[in-house]
Amino acid sequence: MNKTIAVFFGGKSTEHDISIITALSSIIKPLELAGGYNVVPVYIAKDGKWFSDEKLKDISLFRGDGIEDFCKKTKPLAVVFDGGMVLRKTGLKNKDIRVDIAFPAMHGPYGEDGSLMGLLRMAGIPFVGSDMAASVIAMDKVLTKQVVQANDIPTSKFIFFSKVEFEANRDTIIKKVINDLKFPQFVKPSHLGSSIGITKVNNKDELVNAIEVAAFYDDKIIVEEAIENLIEVTVPIMGNETLIPALVEKPLSHGDDFFDFNTKYMSGGKKTSGAKQTGAQGYSELPAKLPNGLYEASLDIAQKVYRATGCEGISRIDLLIDSKSGIVYFNEINPLPGSLYAHNWRASGISSIELVSRLVDLAEERFARNQKLETTFSSSFLKQF
Amino acid sequence: MKHFWTRFHPSYPRTIIYMLQSSEYNIGNYFIWLNRTKNFLSVTRRRNLDYTIKASLLLVTAWLILLCVYTFVIYAIIKSIISMDILIALLGVVLFMISPMIVAFGITIPLFIGHKLIQEPKQRKTLKAASDIILKHSAIKIAIAGSYGKTTAKEILQTVLSETKKVAHTPGNINTPIGISRFIKKLDHKEDVIIFELGEERVGDVRKLCELTKPDIGVITGINEAHLSSFGTLELTTATIFELKGYLGDKPLYKNTESLLVKAEVTDGDKLAFSRKGVNGWHVSDIKTSIIGTKFVAQKDDKIISASTGLLGEHNIGTILVAVDIADSIGLTSVQIEAGINKTKPFEHRMQPKFIHGAWVIDDTYNGNSEGVQAGLLLLKSLDAKRRIYITPGLVEQGIKTKEVHEKIGRQIAKVADVVVLMNNSVTDYISAGLKESGFDGKLIIADDPLKFYSNLDAFVAAGDVVLMQNDWTDNYA
Repeated sequence: MNKTIAVFFGGKSTEHDISIITALSSIIKPLELAGGYNVVPVYIAKDGKWFSDEKLKDISLFRGDGIEDFCKKTKPLAVVFDGGMVLRKTGLKNKDIRVDIAFPAMHGPYGEDGSLMGLLRMAGIPFVGSDMAASVIAMDKVLTKQVVQANDIPTSKFIFFSKVEFEANRDTIIKKVINDLKFPQFVKPSHLGSSIGITKVNNKDELVNAIEVAAFYDDKIIVEEAIENLIEVTVPIMGNETLIPALVEKPLSHGDDFFDFNTKYMSGGKKTSGAKQTGAQGYSELPAKLPNGLYEASLDIAQKVYRATGCEGISRIDLLIDSKSGIVYFNEINPLPGSLYAHNWRASGISSIELVSRLVDLAEERFARNQKLETTFSSSFLKQF
Repeated sequence: MKHFWTRFHPSYPRTIIYMLQSSEYNIGNYFIWLNRTKNFLSVTRRRNLDYTIKASLLLVTAWLILLCVYTFVIYAIIKSIISMDILIALLGVVLFMISPMIVAFGITIPLFIGHKLIQEPKQRKTLKAASDIILKHSAIKIAIAGSYGKTTAKEILQTVLSETKKVAHTPGNINTPIGISRFIKKLDHKEDVIIFELGEERVGDVRKLCELTKPDIGVITGINEAHLSSFGTLELTTATIFELKGYLGDKPLYKNTESLLVKAEVTDGDKLAFSRKGVNGWHVSDIKTSIIGTKFVAQKDDKIISASTGLLGEHNIGTILVAVDIADSIGLTSVQIEAGINKTKPFEHRMQPKFIHGAWVIDDTYNGNSEGVQAGLLLLKSLDAKRRIYITPGLVEQGIKTKEVHEKIGRQIAKVADVVVLMNNSVTDYISAGLKESGFDGKLIIADDPLKFYSNLDAFVAAGDVVLMQNDWTDNYA
């Protein structure tokens, strides 16, 4: 009998729309083509309601107002935790769908930050991707850098503070940032992905504005010193204990820019040998042509970061290289790469269908491993009350 | 029974006309398809009805037949209510239930009448006119016959000889008397060479086409089980194709001895027996194959041809040598012949390589014979690949040899492919059995929806893969 895989996407996140593309084109479609699975879409609307329907597999529903109409006319799902997870469509006769495996495809808060993983852990079902702890670390840029530093992996100098702290001690914080970090700097919301709210700054005025922008999105802000002689690369990695890196990829952005949201997702990009690609897929060097052993060094650092932060399933590690000193610095982790970075996996010899199939296998492998752990036991503790 | 209602769907008349059209109005093949079909809503999967004048007229006629039947049904029911006669009511119900059959079989009557009264006289006139044109035409006429490889041979000859000569050839896969006649009527009488592809379905077909085209040179590309369902035996297939020899007499006839059935008809010392080793004094050496083409050297006495073709696979070398020999005999120089060969490129859906997401996909879906399968697998084996992927629905029209041919194909595929994708149909089990017999330990995928699979091939492949897609399984074999 086919296993039921529920693909969770959408969510209360600024990366809601990107999640829809990741889910529909890079997960649901290849899973269905792989055969052997019953693929169920679970859409989480921006107001937090959950829906499931075959219509949600069609991208045309999400263009225009179609999805709002759908959500207004459709009853949200109920979820039953009966030692597993059952999605229930309530009505005259309830329709239950038992979920065998969960495939999270929600970027950003609630989806990628461990919230969903915690829910799935409690439901007691296998799920694809990093577990809760690794997700929490990966989605907090400050926490990630602290873990990475503790594991002697180079990362750029940084300062962090909360929104409350900034509002209470604005001048002190600005002074500390300017004294401790050289310009140019990058100001980032600590918990967001897809380069939302990130600003590159070259002076104090820009710094202040940028912090205010970041504070609009997040209650924790990080300011990083820019790396000189910069080469930016990224490395997708798959695996639990045994790691499989894809190819080191170099985004081909303009020297003065960084790979912001628009460049990542909206730019037309260059033509490749196939169809015209959009966003990062059409605008990068794959594999990256790097001098003097930097390719191997990048792979090595990326895998060290993956292990140090406890990543499993799949992640993408962004690195910054100082081409003069040859030092490879850790930048960020993306525990759910947009579109799973399928274009890179394909170039490394793993097809889209094989990618999702392997990720499902990895989820089941981890679940089986965790099942061997004892998490409850009988005691006489309550007898004393 | 669960699909019985599909015969009453409004699309039914259009579907049966599509079936007639796809069967090329061969009533026998149409009836076989009709008898085999359960769900009439799933017939038009690959194509739709082409609204030619003939098809449109037949469709109108089909609807008229249906209208007449339904008028009678309504009349019977009303009459039965008025006269309280249950027998008449029953007659009406029975008529209604068999109305799809009445249309499906009844439409063949006006088709037959139209064919006899209108089409056949018109075709006879066209054939006569074409025959008169060809009789007066001074061009060298080359006729190509065989179970397979005809179109490829035609295109190779066209490309090489066009280097200095004005060459015309029958377009696409036009190879019937009426199709060829229409082609002849469009000639401008300035051609130096005309190349005809001769089709065969019945004994005598090749002879009739020879009488129409009056060839000076013949090429037999190969004989195998393709169209065995029409001929019944390989002996009849061979005899029909060799009607070309009967017509030519002492005139040159090139014969492909890489086909065992052709080789059996060739006498020792026949200079025009060709293969990848040579023909008529030409000898081949230094063969190199890759995903972008084939190179070799051909030498005859002091003439040397360094050939470089975009065609994939060594099996094309023999046919290219035929083009070399004919070109040499009509005055092309070695340089001109080399230039002509250099222009030969893969034809659409015939060993046509495409680069998709870092993978090479060789589209050989127009191949429909077991020799082609063998040649394709040899090519696949010779190429460097991370994964060798072989995709096929199997071969149509193999007649009584269907099981044997497909089990053999399965055994051959097992020795080459890492991944095998079979389109699910009536021969899938035979190929699977052949794979199992050879101990195939790779990945086997059975695709229930070929269209969905082909249109999502990019999700299936990755860099380093070499994919060979062979054969096609059209709606009329579903």
